[in-house]
Amino acid sequence: MDYYNRTSLQSQASIISNNLVSISEQLSENRELLSSLVAYPAPSFPGRTHAGALQELLRTKLDPRVEDWVAQGRTSGASALEDKKKNGLSERELAELWEWAPIGANVEARRRIWGGNFTLEEKEMGIQNVVTGLTRQPEDDDSEADEDGEEAVDEDDEMEVMGAHRKVGGVGVELSRPVSGAVPLDEIFRYMMTGVWPKSGNA
Amino acid sequence: MHELLLFASVPGQQHHELLQQLTGLTAAQPTHRLERHLVFKAYRRPGSVNTRIGGSQDLQAPEIQRLTKMLNGAMFYTQVVGPVTEKDFGSVPLSQFTARSTVNDKRPAEGDQGNWYDFEDQRWRLEFRDIPEPGARTTVTTRLMANATLPRGDVLTPMNAWGYSFVTEYIMEGDVFIHNDIVLFLYRVLTFPADSHDPQPPRQTLPALREMIPLDRSGGYVLQAVVIVTDGSNPEIMKLASQRLLGLKEQLKSAVKLEQADRLSLDTRVK
Repeated sequence: MDYYNRTSLQSQASIISNNLVSISEQLSENRELLSSLVAYPAPSFPGRTHAGALQELLRTKLDPRVEDWVAQGRTSGASALEDKKKNGLSERELAELWEWAPIGANVEARRRIWGGNFTLEEKEMGIQNVVTGLTRQPEDDDSEADEDGEEAVDEDDEMEVMGAHRKVGGVGVELSRPVSGAVPLDEIFRYMMTGVWPKSGNA
Repeated sequence: MHELLLFASVPGQQHHELLQQLTGLTAAQPTHRLERHLVFKAYRRPGSVNTRIGGSQDLQAPEIQRLTKMLNGAMFYTQVVGPVTEKDFGSVPLSQFTARSTVNDKRPAEGDQGNWYDFEDQRWRLEFRDIPEPGARTTVTTRLMANATLPRGDVLTPMNAWGYSFVTEYIMEGDVFIHNDIVLFLYRVLTFPADSHDPQPPRQTLPALREMIPLDRSGGYVLQAVVIVTDGSNPEIMKLASQRLLGLKEQLKSAVKLEQADRLSLDTRVK
């Protein structure tokens, strides 16, 4: 439910923003014309019933409220531009960053022992404190094996069980790839719908 | 009516386990279902549709145009489905049975234990399924559907009269579960053994069930989850139905992977 609301919200927002962009384009494109236009009511204009609209049209100065909006918009626009100047990286800086990043990452990676489930730092801090976000407890293989032989055996057993579990769970993954010799779903459907014999599998 | 569907391919070795899981999920024993499916193909009889192409000067009235479009529009494969029971398989036709029996009654007596299959008394229903709706609007397969009851017995004559020719027939065997609004059907397709029987008209007798050949010889099954919506034009209900299906998909995620089918594989249009 939530999901659907969010996507519709997003699409609505993008529609609104697209409309705003096209309005602003129109305004800036026709700026000269619009600023030189003068409103002049024809006698046929229903002045009585549309007095409010008439007044708005004949204004030479903006409504104070509108003027506030405009000022607000101008300042926020200016500040946005300034932010961009202040925070954005220049080409040179970006190039520098990209030059440094792979090497930096490599250096950082060398400091960790990869392959285990935990980093050296985390082990020193105590692995029970690490927030992994996993529901199953990742076994910390090598350190435990060093400490206690018997426990390591238990650990191994458990790992094998885990492996088996994975295989069973893996069926779900394997499903999308048909078992060898099996007729793919779409060919079964085609036979069911139109009597076209499957190409694969059976003769 | 519309139906919303999700499918999953189930390997043979997982079949029993899945049956148990579905029994657990729906808290009910499955209902075994055996169906004869006769596939019919629409054909256009020459001269039956009088369209005059050319002479575009005189524009036809919109109603005529619409009618022409309907008549010349897509033609479809349709199915005639008849429920059968296990004892209908490998049994003798009623005529032979009565001929063998000493009683001269047209029908065997009520208490008679014999196995006979009466094609003349076979119930049939016509099942029309449109090609699934295009577009990735939802993640379930949606298609227009309609069922109609047909007279018992010989279906070939009326179907031919309506412009349908018999293509082939097969048996759908499986188990049905009901889970809230969703009908789950775990089935496999059985084809008839290649025997001396003339493949053209539908069979009057059924061979023994064990002689039937699964279409998927690896023993695989298909799990089909379907929600039927009477008013397919109501987007609220359609959305609700697809949400139900997606909920089930999530629930069964660890057991089977329910997915929408390839649209063109369910194409029922005659090309």
